[in-house]
Amino acid sequence: MIELKNVTKVFKSDLLTQPFIALDDVSFNIPEASMVGFLGANGAGKTTSLKIIMDFIRPTSGIVNFEPSLGSTKEEVFQNIGFLPERPYFYPSLSGEDFLLFMGKLSGMNRSQILSEVGEWAPRFKIDHALKREIKTYSKGMLQRIGFLATIIHHPKLVILDEPLSGLDPIGRKELKDVIIEVHKQGKTIFFSSHIVPDVEEICDRVIFLKDGKLIYNGAVGELISNSNDSEYLLTVKIADGVNLVTPFKQLTLLPDNLRRYIVDAALKEAFIRDVIDKKGDIISLEMKKPSLEEIFYKTKSMGDLS
Amino acid sequence: MSKMWTIAYFTFKEIFKSKVLINVFFVGLGLMLVTYVATEFTYGVPEKVALDFGIGMLSLSSLAISLFLGVTLLSKEIDSRTVYMVISRPVPRYAFIIGKIFGLLGVQLVNVILLGGMTILVVNILGGNLSPLIFWCVGFIFLESILLLLVVLLVSLFANNILTTLFSIIILILGHAVKETQNINFVKRNPFFEYLLEFYHYFLPAFYKLNIKDFLIYKNNLNSDYLFLNLSYGLLYSLFLGILIILIFNRKNLD
Repeated sequence: MIELKNVTKVFKSDLLTQPFIALDDVSFNIPEASMVGFLGANGAGKTTSLKIIMDFIRPTSGIVNFEPSLGSTKEEVFQNIGFLPERPYFYPSLSGEDFLLFMGKLSGMNRSQILSEVGEWAPRFKIDHALKREIKTYSKGMLQRIGFLATIIHHPKLVILDEPLSGLDPIGRKELKDVIIEVHKQGKTIFFSSHIVPDVEEICDRVIFLKDGKLIYNGAVGELISNSNDSEYLLTVKIADGVNLVTPFKQLTLLPDNLRRYIVDAALKEAFIRDVIDKKGDIISLEMKKPSLEEIFYKTKSMGDLS
Repeated sequence: MSKMWTIAYFTFKEIFKSKVLINVFFVGLGLMLVTYVATEFTYGVPEKVALDFGIGMLSLSSLAISLFLGVTLLSKEIDSRTVYMVISRPVPRYAFIIGKIFGLLGVQLVNVILLGGMTILVVNILGGNLSPLIFWCVGFIFLESILLLLVVLLVSLFANNILTTLFSIIILILGHAVKETQNINFVKRNPFFEYLLEFYHYFLPAFYKLNIKDFLIYKNNLNSDYLFLNLSYGLLYSLFLGILIILIFNRKNLD
C-alpha cells in the first residue's frame, strides 16, 4: 500500500550544530490487508518515518509511493488513510461528539453519516457515555479511544497509528488491541509504531525494525523468530547420580528421580545428546525453545543486522 | 472550501467555549461602569468621555485577542499534534490556516460587535452625536486587529511564543509611532534615520494609518479619500500577509 524508497532525513537546526541523521536510506513497504508493527527504541526514527509518509515533513532524499488503490491525488490518498499521532491532545473545550463531527466533516462525511458511525462504534470503544462531555475531562485511555474512533470514522483503507498503546494501563492496552484487531479483520491495513514489543508480537503478522535510523528487519514476525540464531533446546535427561556431562550447557535444573533439565544452545544440541548416550543416560524429552520477539529486539540493541 | 469553513467553525467554537468571550462580556460591563463613574466627574462632555473609554477599551481588547490568542493559534496546534489530526485528512494546508484565521476573526468580530455596540449605545444614551465616523473607527479597529493577527501568525512561523509576543508588540508600537517619529527634528536632521523610517514604511505595517480615534473624538470629521485610501492599505497589506503566511506554511516542516 505504501512504499518508502531510499528515504533519508537529515535534521540540521543551525550552522553550528552537527547534522543529525534521523533516517538513513530506509526502504520498506506495507502490504495490503497486513498488520505491520513498526518497532524501534526511542529515537530510532519511527515517528520521523510516519511524518514523512503523512507529508508533515519532507525527506532529505528518497520518495514515498502510494499504491493506486489508495488514490491518484493527494486528496484521494488521504481520504483513504486514517492517522492517529502519538499522545494526541485534542481541542479540550470541545465535547467528544463535536470532535468526532469535526473529524468526520473534514473527511467529507455529513452529520447523519458521522452520527451513525459514532452510534455504531462508540459503545464498542466504551466511549458512548462520555460523548457529550468536554474532552479536557477525559482520561488518557478515553483520549486514545476517541482518537482511534476519529481515525477510523471515515472507513480508511489504511490506518497508521503512532504509539497507540503507550501510556495505557494493561486493561486499556487490551481494550485498544481488541479494537485494532477487529478493525483489521474488516480488511483494513494497519501500520503502527510501538516500543512495546510483546504487543506487536501478539497482534502483528509483519514487523519492521529500525535502529538508529537504519532498517534492520522487514518481514514476517514468525520468520524473524524462526530464523533467529538464538534458538535453544530444553532437554530432560535421566542419568545416574554423580555422572558429569562435558558438553557445555546454559542452565541446569535438578529434578527428583535422577532427572535433570538442561538448556542447551542449538549448535551444541547433537554433541550434548551424544554425550548423554555415551554416559548411559536417557533422553526423556527434547523441546525447542524459541526466543520471543522481545528477546530478539533487545539483542539487536547491542548487536547488528537481523536480516 | 467547506472544509475551510468547518475548521473556522470549530476553531470559533473551541475559543468560544474556552470562555474567552465571557471575559469580553465582563470588559463590556466594566466599560459601562467606568463610563458612568467617569461621566459623573466630567462637566459638559460626558459623551466624549464615554466614546473615549469605549473606543479605547475596544481597541485594547481587540489587540489583546489578536496578540495572545494569535500567538498560540498555530504553535499550540503543532505542539499538541492536533494539526496532524487535521492535515492527515484530505485538507489542504492553506484551508487549515485560512480556517484557523477565520475562526479567530469570528471571535474578534463578536468582540467588536459587543464592545462597539455597547459604546455606541452608551454614547447614544448620553446624547452624543453618532456620526458615520464612529462606524469607520470601529471598522478600522477590526482591520487593525486583523493586521496584527497576521503579523503575529507570520512571526510565530519562525519564533517561539515569547519571541513572537515580543516582536509583535515591537512591530505594533513602531507601526503606531513611525509617523510621529518622522516629525522629530533629530530624525529630520539625520538622513540615515529618515531613510530607515522610509524603509520601514515600505516593508512593515503602518498601524497608525488605521488609527482614527483622535479624529473621531476631537475633530469628528475626516475626508473620505483618507478613509478609503487607508482602508485599501489595510486590506491589501492583510491580503499580502495572508498570502505570505500560506506560502510559508505550505512549505513548513511540521516537526
